[in-house]
Amino acid sequence: MTALIKIEWLKIKKYPAFWWMVIIVMLTYPAINTMTYYGYMQATTGKDMAKNIARMFLGNPFAFPETWHSVAYFSSFFILLPSILVIMLVTNEYTFKTHRQNIIDGWSREQFITSKLFDVLIVSLIVTGFYIIVALGFGLYADSATVYQWSKELQYIPLFLLQTFAQLSIAFLLGYVIKKAFIALGIFLFYYLIIENIAMNYARFKLNDVGRFLPFEISDRLIPVPAFFSRFGKDAKASYDHAISQIPEHVVYTVLLTALIWFICYKVHKKRDL
Amino acid sequence: MQQVLSLSSISKSYGSIKALKEVSFDVPEGAVFGILGPNGSGKTTMLSIILDILKSDAGSFQWFGQPGSPATRKRIGSLLETPNFYHYLSAIDNLNITQAISGRGNKEDIEQVLKIVKLYERRKSKFSTFSLGMKQRLAIAAALLGDPQVLVFDEPTNGLDPVGIAEIRELIKELSKRGKTIIMASHLLDEVEKVCTHVAILKKGTLITAGNVDEVFSNEDIVEVSAADPDQLFALLENYPAHTNIKRDGNRVQLFFPIGTVKLEDINRYCFEKGISLNLLLVRKERLETRFFELTNDK
Repeated sequence: MTALIKIEWLKIKKYPAFWWMVIIVMLTYPAINTMTYYGYMQATTGKDMAKNIARMFLGNPFAFPETWHSVAYFSSFFILLPSILVIMLVTNEYTFKTHRQNIIDGWSREQFITSKLFDVLIVSLIVTGFYIIVALGFGLYADSATVYQWSKELQYIPLFLLQTFAQLSIAFLLGYVIKKAFIALGIFLFYYLIIENIAMNYARFKLNDVGRFLPFEISDRLIPVPAFFSRFGKDAKASYDHAISQIPEHVVYTVLLTALIWFICYKVHKKRDL
Repeated sequence: MQQVLSLSSISKSYGSIKALKEVSFDVPEGAVFGILGPNGSGKTTMLSIILDILKSDAGSFQWFGQPGSPATRKRIGSLLETPNFYHYLSAIDNLNITQAISGRGNKEDIEQVLKIVKLYERRKSKFSTFSLGMKQRLAIAAALLGDPQVLVFDEPTNGLDPVGIAEIRELIKELSKRGKTIIMASHLLDEVEKVCTHVAILKKGTLITAGNVDEVFSNEDIVEVSAADPDQLFALLENYPAHTNIKRDGNRVQLFFPIGTVKLEDINRYCFEKGISLNLLLVRKERLETRFFELTNDK
């Protein structure tokens, strides 16, 4: 196990795209949350009576413990960035034909897939690490009076990790099956940004919300919209509570889908010509 | 003697194309085993199967008397088809990965194999900056890492300049001297002729023949003779006993004998006694190339 991780680290640590991803994520996560934070501040700060009411009414989404939830939600929009890296990490092996050489040199075919699973896990952990730092930073900065509540809602850390790992696993599957980086990336983007959103919204209104079983939506629902969305009326409150109540269910679905993805990869790799 | 590798009835199809048809042969320990065949005859397919890159449709193979496994592959240094390395990594970093996966060699060995293939000076350059020949050298270095007992080379001299080709040939001879078993696919007959002890010939996925080089290629000795009057000589030698065939090649007459049966003195005396003085008399081993074309010819 550790031998596999060490070898993957040898491959990754000098890969420029990896460091680009790290830098971009390092900039993007704080940036998107800062933008949202200042948007919120602007809407709720001032002498204006309405703004003060708004602040009391909405609460601060970046104070503890809600920061764990809000930052997870906004950061998860950018799954695209690590997805590109994951797709590159698997399609590189085909481009360089090192998927063959690794076997020739003495890996089993299972070890090859396991090594890639570790890649996805490593990337997920790094991304989750950034999320934790950013969420923590906002929690401390936004409102020092709520720091004592820091340990509430920590469940969003494992949820964020699971969501990231699940969605990166889909990216991996695409790269693994399609083999060509640009085609895999194209399909990934087109599906993730367009197809699934259309299908999901259509299903929401017409098909009793079966869209929640679409590959990305399954894990998207691990982290529902931040709590302040629930304060815009009775309907919003009901749908927020419903989304929260569905999280455990979606944990199960996500784990099942992700397990299925890796099971397929193992099975296919055991049999196919490389 | 132990067989290093045994293939039995290996078959492989790509759709309707049969790439290998029930190929069986053994590679004895210490052999330099050449696999010959024109482009598309199934050489690389066969090597890919024994290295678990491709799955055969039928048949089986054994390395060191055991079914192929990651453990057996770790004992074999292999270069298959193209040099496969991470483009963004240096020569040394790539070999570090080879070393980590195969468990063969250590840090010093990596430097040593880089010296053998003359890439030591460029050890820190990225693989993507290498020329074709340098990439090939690195692949050979990776195969040599940790001094494995068995080496598999698929077209080892691909992309090398004449000096490089000669160096690889010397390297193979030296490895063979040290008792290594070398399995080498090539379409360069010259290469095979100069280094191989055994050969297998593939043609359109069928194994035509396999065995010791001398047995496969020279089942006949050719005696070339000439005299002032070639016509008279030809007429005379037609009646010479025990030959299997006779041909005219310009002014020379070629007499074919089963291997090892020819006695030049007898031919000389025979002609002299019949009143013809020879101005040329020699035994010629059949050229590999000629034999190869004969064997792989479409009939």
